[in-house]
Amino acid sequence: MKRRDFLKVGSLAALGPGPSLAPADAAGASPRPSGRVLSEPQWATIAAVQDHLLPSEPDAPGAREVNATAYLDRTLADPKFDPDVKKLILQGIGWLEEISQEREGLPFPQVRPARREDMLRKIARTRAGERWLSRLVTYCLEAMLSDPLYGGNPGGIGWKWLEHDPGQPRPTPDKIYGRLGKA
Amino acid sequence: MSRDFDVCVIGSGAGGGPVALTLAEAGYSVVVLEKGPWLDEKDFCKDEIASCRRSTYTPSLLDERHVLEQRNDEGVWEAESTLDSGWDWWNGNCVGGASNFMSGFFHRMKPDDFRLLSAFGPVEGANLADWPIGYENLEPWYDLVEHRVGVSGKLVEHPYQEPRSSADFPYPPTVEHPISGLIDKACRDLGYSSFPVPRAVLSRPALGRNSCLYTNYCGSYGCSSGAKGSSRAALLKQAIRTGHCRVRPHCMVSRILSDQKGRIDAVEYIDGDGARKRLDAEIYVVACQAIETTRLLLMSTGPRYPNGLANSNGQVGRNLIFSAGGIGTGDILYADLAPDLASSLKVRGPFVNRALQDWYFYSDPETGERRKGGTIEFLFRHANAISQAVAQKWSSDDNLVWGKPLKDRIKTYFTSARHLRFEVFNDWTPVDDCFVSLDPREKDKWGMPVARIRLGYHPRDLEVGRFLSRKAVTVLERLGAKNISWNVSGSPPQNLVAGGCRFGTDPKASVLDLDCKAHEIDNLYVTDGSFMPTGGSVPFTWTIYANAFRVADRILEALGGPSDKGS
Repeated sequence: MKRRDFLKVGSLAALGPGPSLAPADAAGASPRPSGRVLSEPQWATIAAVQDHLLPSEPDAPGAREVNATAYLDRTLADPKFDPDVKKLILQGIGWLEEISQEREGLPFPQVRPARREDMLRKIARTRAGERWLSRLVTYCLEAMLSDPLYGGNPGGIGWKWLEHDPGQPRPTPDKIYGRLGKA
Repeated sequence: MSRDFDVCVIGSGAGGGPVALTLAEAGYSVVVLEKGPWLDEKDFCKDEIASCRRSTYTPSLLDERHVLEQRNDEGVWEAESTLDSGWDWWNGNCVGGASNFMSGFFHRMKPDDFRLLSAFGPVEGANLADWPIGYENLEPWYDLVEHRVGVSGKLVEHPYQEPRSSADFPYPPTVEHPISGLIDKACRDLGYSSFPVPRAVLSRPALGRNSCLYTNYCGSYGCSSGAKGSSRAALLKQAIRTGHCRVRPHCMVSRILSDQKGRIDAVEYIDGDGARKRLDAEIYVVACQAIETTRLLLMSTGPRYPNGLANSNGQVGRNLIFSAGGIGTGDILYADLAPDLASSLKVRGPFVNRALQDWYFYSDPETGERRKGGTIEFLFRHANAISQAVAQKWSSDDNLVWGKPLKDRIKTYFTSARHLRFEVFNDWTPVDDCFVSLDPREKDKWGMPVARIRLGYHPRDLEVGRFLSRKAVTVLERLGAKNISWNVSGSPPQNLVAGGCRFGTDPKASVLDLDCKAHEIDNLYVTDGSFMPTGGSVPFTWTIYANAFRVADRILEALGGPSDKGS
């Protein structure tokens, strides 16, 4: 309910100062696109975190299959998206990369999965860090279960996984959020 | 002097629609000013992002917000903007207002709801007041609403069934889910009288509208078939057909202007292009939903009204009420059921439509004193997928869950059970600490002060809510539900709001007279839920519709009866 509590914390005091956006080098991984909001390194970090939060399984889609990073990028580009929340999401990338450098000497996308879990658990122990991760989980699940017109859930893959009937009528491109009532 | 319109209605929801329709049908020229867009059946899709997760039918909180005052653990009132809390208090700003997004559980108030003070005596710390009219005065309009808005249902006698002038509902009940029969059986076993819930949803094509399509997404969603009896679908469309009613979307009324003599002589509004405009009418009707109605009256100071319109006695905004109560859920696990039954419960679309009013009035188990109780409504958890999935991210000990454990929780939640829910509706006892004022600092995007709402409640409301919740739990238990949990709190449902401009006979203690005309202003009426001194233990919409039709007839009389210009 109190979606803004985390903003009052300001920074991950327990973990270090940094609101700086670490220029993570995603070398080694396949090149990632940059988006409307996320730079290429930010995109890579977010994609790695999302992959960990909502992993792919043989019989169940994960963040990768539902295009969670592209979905988040598009969401952040909404002019009505809360600018403070946007700032937090971007700041969180910097915090994580700083810790990753400090502990592993590597950008987060290059850290082994078991070590990623340790790092994210540590982050989740602070109030701001937990809320950063909580937000990312929420947008992953939006990507999984929103209409494919928003850029996630291709072909309704998330709905199929959960045997979910999204109801009729489905939106058309001119009726989705951001366009409806604007014509 | 020629005026732009005979009647200007501010707000197009449940309070505005009946007035526009009645007066347009009588041949008077009516303009309805609505701050939001004009969306229609073709615009409403089953899109959770647009309907429930972003501000599509409501303003962005970056542009317009509220300030809420809540008592903290030390008993001190703390104010927080809804932008900061994320607790959005807008309820549908578009043509038809919040009635577009209601579930349409339609219940009438009971005769004793109109006289709580005399029937039950004063409550310490509460501002109880009898209504200046009785149930019998409103009954003809409750009946009218059944026919004009379209209410489907089936009369089944139960202990507190209110008297009715029609034998039964004009439309048969909507299609019911197999769970409804199971709820009936469980209630019979327990000696309770479950009954079918009347719905403002058409069960067959009528009134120029389609029947319900049973798509499993009703409350919080605009209706794509026209079956839901919103003010837009049921009333404004017909008003427009008379040729006497114009609905103007994207028109935010910023001020109601009054002259030296104290009469309203114009409204000032901001149109979709940001231009400030004025129009005038013989009669002005405010129906912006309780909180915004108070805000507009308080903002509309004038030479005779330094404290805002109709507020010489300082009563505007006071005694705001909500629906008190709580919610609970239980899981009907498919694994506990025979395969046939399990698959019948997986059916999506038909309605549960079951309620209990066995304890609408009850004897206190300890004192034996007769008390006011309320309504228990049964329904399935809302079909929204994202909100159900997101709710799984917190473990029972409040830690964030992710990875495979999160996916397993989500999969189990979606595929192993039906989640049966109950909602308790009981009276929100009016108290001094529940009121609306203008915030001294926060402004909306036009520079106008936003509404500040103090959210005090009477502790007795929680006792009643808990009493009813425990009764509801016995039904879930009887049904074999697992993981039963419930919660009653003083945190109000922002979509079930009324009060703030009480009607009454005493001009010192109320804002409106019996006709919902401002005591101190001859051409200003308020027809949304603001007039209600107490709210009953049911959702308010049917009562708001009925009263607005009643007041529309009074306005028609004030205008001199049906106009020559009509038909």
